[in-house]
Amino acid sequence: MSEKNRFLPYLREDRLPHIFCPGCGNGAIINAFLAAMEKAEMDFDNIAMVSGIGCSSRIPGYLKCDSLHTTHGRALSFATGLKTANKDLDVVVFTGDGDAASIGGNHLIHAARRNINLTVICINNNIYGMTGGQISPTSPKGSFGTTAPYGNLDSPFKLAELVAAAGASYSARWTTVQIENLVLSIKAGLKNKGFSFIEVATQCPTYFGRKNKLKTATAMAAVMKANTVFKSAADRMSARELEGKIVVGEFANIQKDEFTENLERISVEKSGKKTLINSAYSTEL
Amino acid sequence: MIGDFKLIIIDENLCKGCHLCLFMCYKNVYAISPEVNKKGVQLPFVKFEERCTKCGTCEVACPDQAITVDLPENWWMNEDVNFNPLFTRHGK
Repeated sequence: MSEKNRFLPYLREDRLPHIFCPGCGNGAIINAFLAAMEKAEMDFDNIAMVSGIGCSSRIPGYLKCDSLHTTHGRALSFATGLKTANKDLDVVVFTGDGDAASIGGNHLIHAARRNINLTVICINNNIYGMTGGQISPTSPKGSFGTTAPYGNLDSPFKLAELVAAAGASYSARWTTVQIENLVLSIKAGLKNKGFSFIEVATQCPTYFGRKNKLKTATAMAAVMKANTVFKSAADRMSARELEGKIVVGEFANIQKDEFTENLERISVEKSGKKTLINSAYSTEL
Repeated sequence: MIGDFKLIIIDENLCKGCHLCLFMCYKNVYAISPEVNKKGVQLPFVKFEERCTKCGTCEVACPDQAITVDLPENWWMNEDVNFNPLFTRHGK
């Protein structure tokens, strides 16, 4: 056994230590993704990563693979184009809660409706961490932020349920505390043919924690662990009991028609060998 | 600080001192060092090595890729095995 961390060969070591705050969950999600990728026996060179804007979207910059850092909220649009142009790539999207739920909300539900073969890892830290602690669409009711000094009055989005209802073939929610389940879930998402959405609730001690009297990463992780309810238990609980709880588990795991395969089938049906997708580049490919 | 053994290695250059390893470890192997290093970080260190079951949770849960556990080669590659095979085999 070497004395080197087993995730370091996949990372750009000259960029380390990374920019994330002490205790931020993003680093653990890098590890969980790499462990899941090893478990799923995928080719790291065949993976293309797409990200938008935000703390979580800096993750592809630390990984030694092809990556695309795009405009705010449009990571899924770029990923859809990338996957349609070259359907042999394994496209993984790292996105935050402000990126996926707020400005890119329509892109998220329509990518789920089309059921295109992407793996989306949505890192939900309940706040806009990069810009200074504004309230995001997934902030729990009553939580404090820079833009909510008297507490957040709105109900949060439930992203995993939303994407499952929009028609994705795999949707799950886990937290960084249940790291083994998260690894298995990302593995299932990578192997699944269709839109796979994994929402990961993480801790943000710098902004969410400081505004909500949970200053250390350990305090945030302990509160997250105490507030976690598994889906099978949550089905038997009332809405009043579930207030402020994080429901974890798989919300959708079904088989459906996939977007790029439908496109391939119809192009072969209508145009034969001269396919609609890559006819201009057929000599190069 | 780390000691003579090499079961768990903590990279002092990468650790930022979030102490999540203390929270995540099921067997309470780690402890916080009272000294502060040159970055102003109170590093964790391995205090109770004999308690370690090599589950590898701290290695995955460390956000800064600072912890290395001496695991058997690629046990996590086995299909549907999420636990350390040594853990069940020896009944430790």
